[in-house]
Amino acid sequence: MTQETKYAAADSARTSTDVVLRLAGESGEGVVSLGDLTVQMLVQMGLDIYTFQTFPAEIKGGTVMYQIRATESTTLSHGDAVDVFVALNHDGFSLFGEGLRENGILVYDSDVFTPVPEAGRTEYALPISTLAGQEKQAVRARVTPEQLKRLPPPKNIVGLGALLRLVNAPLEPAEQYVKELFARKGEAIVEMNISALHSGARHIAEQIESTGKRAPKVNPRFDMPKRLTLNGNQMLAMGAISAGCRFYSGYPITPATEIMEFLAKELPRFGGSVVQAEDEISALGMCLGSSYAGVKTMTASSGPGISLMVEMINLAGQSELPVVIADVQRGGASTGMPTKTSQGDLNLALYGVHNESPRIVIAPTSVTDCYWTAVDAFNLAEAYQCPVILLSDQALATRKSTIEHPDLSKLEIVDRIQPNEEEVAKHGYMRFLDTPSGISPMSIPGMPGAQYVNSGIEHDESGDPGYTPELATASKEKRFRKLETCRIKEGAKYVRYFVGRDETVLQDIAATDVGIIAFGSTEGVIREASQRAINEGFSVAQMQVRLLNPLPVEQIEQFVSKCKTILIPELNFSGQFANWIRVNTRFEFETLHKDEGLPFIPNELYQKITALAGR
Amino acid sequence: MALATENVQVFQPKDYKSDLKPIWCAGCGDFGVLNALYKAMAACNLDPNKTVVVSGIGCSSRLPGFVSTYGFHGVHGRALPIATGIKLARPDLNVIVVGGDGDGYSIGAGHLPHCARRNPDITYLIMNNNVYGLTKGQVSPTSTIPLISLQSKQDPKRWKTTPYGSTEDPIDPIVQAIAHDISFVARGFSYKPNQLADLLTQGIQHKGFALIDAFSPCPTFNQDQTDEFYKERTYDVPEDHDPTNKLKAFELALREEGFPIGLIYKKEGKVSVQDELAFLRESASPQTLDQMFSRFLS
Repeated sequence: MTQETKYAAADSARTSTDVVLRLAGESGEGVVSLGDLTVQMLVQMGLDIYTFQTFPAEIKGGTVMYQIRATESTTLSHGDAVDVFVALNHDGFSLFGEGLRENGILVYDSDVFTPVPEAGRTEYALPISTLAGQEKQAVRARVTPEQLKRLPPPKNIVGLGALLRLVNAPLEPAEQYVKELFARKGEAIVEMNISALHSGARHIAEQIESTGKRAPKVNPRFDMPKRLTLNGNQMLAMGAISAGCRFYSGYPITPATEIMEFLAKELPRFGGSVVQAEDEISALGMCLGSSYAGVKTMTASSGPGISLMVEMINLAGQSELPVVIADVQRGGASTGMPTKTSQGDLNLALYGVHNESPRIVIAPTSVTDCYWTAVDAFNLAEAYQCPVILLSDQALATRKSTIEHPDLSKLEIVDRIQPNEEEVAKHGYMRFLDTPSGISPMSIPGMPGAQYVNSGIEHDESGDPGYTPELATASKEKRFRKLETCRIKEGAKYVRYFVGRDETVLQDIAATDVGIIAFGSTEGVIREASQRAINEGFSVAQMQVRLLNPLPVEQIEQFVSKCKTILIPELNFSGQFANWIRVNTRFEFETLHKDEGLPFIPNELYQKITALAGR
Repeated sequence: MALATENVQVFQPKDYKSDLKPIWCAGCGDFGVLNALYKAMAACNLDPNKTVVVSGIGCSSRLPGFVSTYGFHGVHGRALPIATGIKLARPDLNVIVVGGDGDGYSIGAGHLPHCARRNPDITYLIMNNNVYGLTKGQVSPTSTIPLISLQSKQDPKRWKTTPYGSTEDPIDPIVQAIAHDISFVARGFSYKPNQLADLLTQGIQHKGFALIDAFSPCPTFNQDQTDEFYKERTYDVPEDHDPTNKLKAFELALREEGFPIGLIYKKEGKVSVQDELAFLRESASPQTLDQMFSRFLS
């Protein structure tokens, strides 16, 4: 697909707020703080935001990109083409400039570089350092020399003022925010920042006056109730706490570290603990110890760390220990592209094991769903006494989204079944009792008479080692029976159906030309692309699968029966989800997969959908 | 230590025996170690319901099956993280880790210094036979073997994976343990079971991470470091040795002739991770889910 078609068709008539802002520049030079500030302001204006960030791999330096899309209803993707591109340096401009739509606006830091003019593009110079420096000079007399030395010139605030003016948004909320932010630094600093805000705004306003070109307008709605602004990692951590996680051990790794950082701060307030382990093997080892001892537990990592955990995951499957392992997938094999996104660990999650032991694999589909999927992960681990691998990804983990407060009355907590003490006293205890569901009551150390050895060695119902062919067959069947129980009991709960933007139920899906089956973080962007196709008369439906193992085959086949053509889009090189579907079902489908480190944009999917529907 | 105080039940060594018979070869040093462990558990009157014996993989790591407590027979080299997790989740449980020299000093060696840093209140008993037994006779990280060329007059010990002699120096577990600042470091010998039981008792009662390295000769695959070998070369730690003096502990451990048996190093008052985490939990202001969410409202 050429860049031209990739970004075309995005600029359909806009009746309500829908604006895409992109910031790029040297990492550590304020791109992220300016992005965060902008997000904060847009949220306060009642808009629904959705961000996408891509970071450099360098420790400090390198180019960071922060894209923000704001709309009035639920924002489903970071958008196609960029309306306003703020380039703080030349690298940022050349690396991320191509996403700017035709007739888009480029704001560049004219203290740093000057782009070669391009026809059709509106260019606004913003000498950020100069303007910020002037503001600092203006308060010289009002602060102590010591204060002055430590006072950074208000570059971000200049940038914020300029951005807000560009999208024709009011400055009052930002003024209020700046007042609160700098209140304890004194009146002079507050006034300097407010002046900086207006300086940035004025500088842009003057140029708008001469060109007449401004960005899509933002319509503030100040009557909106307060909402949450959180990213996928934070929601995942909150879900874990809500589900009853009280022990976490992990090893730092991009892009999963934030989960540990969040829990390290919050868990003690809920009576829990976090330990930074010496490696991922130890991290999962501590978690298995904790789970065995009866405390719900999780670790989170990314591909390289999950690879190290594989032996421990197998131990948990073989010895039937509940544990949650979150894999925040990143780009590339081996070290790959740590700061980029991918859905490339599905095979690892499904097959990362020697021989065979059961595990459940689930994937959250949105920032909100990170919360509920974390809760589900704990509940499934407890119910089926096995490891649950939760597949998030970099784009979802760092995506900030405006979300409703989760309805905590819907929070259901499942605990592992435990043996009855009286029964144990009367009849003794068999930890791995072969039951019709495959699930056996699990004792917790401290329970009298219910001692057993938890082991990875093949074992009989009591837990004693054994190698006979009969035992090998029976115990493996018992363990895998749990997955069948799970498939039957849970399958229908772990699929979602959409027609365009709207969620629906299977029964309400009519005969459809293109049915899309996908998993994980692609849910929103597919909904948006489908809606665009539907608006143009195409017939499209979507099924988002949250449970990847055991796969809800029955539900998938019912959906497929309603669709003429099936499309399976995913973010990896070989089409891992498509291959997994192929293993489990018997139908033909089309695929769309890429593994370039970036998420889908709506138009990529739209093009594919309409091409398939038009055949 | 969770003592069985509620019913004032008194446990005898035999109460810790399970129905499973050990799979070890006749004459294995691990039998003596196991008996010493039964005695130590009885001496500490550990409640079998509140005790977990954790191990990795190897001959000696089969031990959890032979005790009547709770057990966790995990994967090779990872007993310490698992045991740490158990102790941190449930400080009320007694946690004893057992394993061999390959499990602890080779594949699992990376966990040792970090367990020392954390200093959880667990006891680590290593049955050191200077050989890989379960895989039938390969060189181990404590195999004390003459090098091929430097001591050419001596016939090199020909292990199965080093048929021309090994080129790697052995680890000195005691010196290493003192260097890691493990808060209780002792050496035992399976042919001195009463002394070993006493060291294990002290280790279990020690508040913090205790490491007891017990020579436990393998009669099947190690014809060099036999019970006779160690009987000739071990001697009791001198009565005037001060285990709280780290330099003296190093000095004793570094002596070239023979192996001192007994308590070699002890650090009192070293902070323990489970106490630190408990402090964090107790000093944090409690929070509800709603309060947590409300901090992100705007």
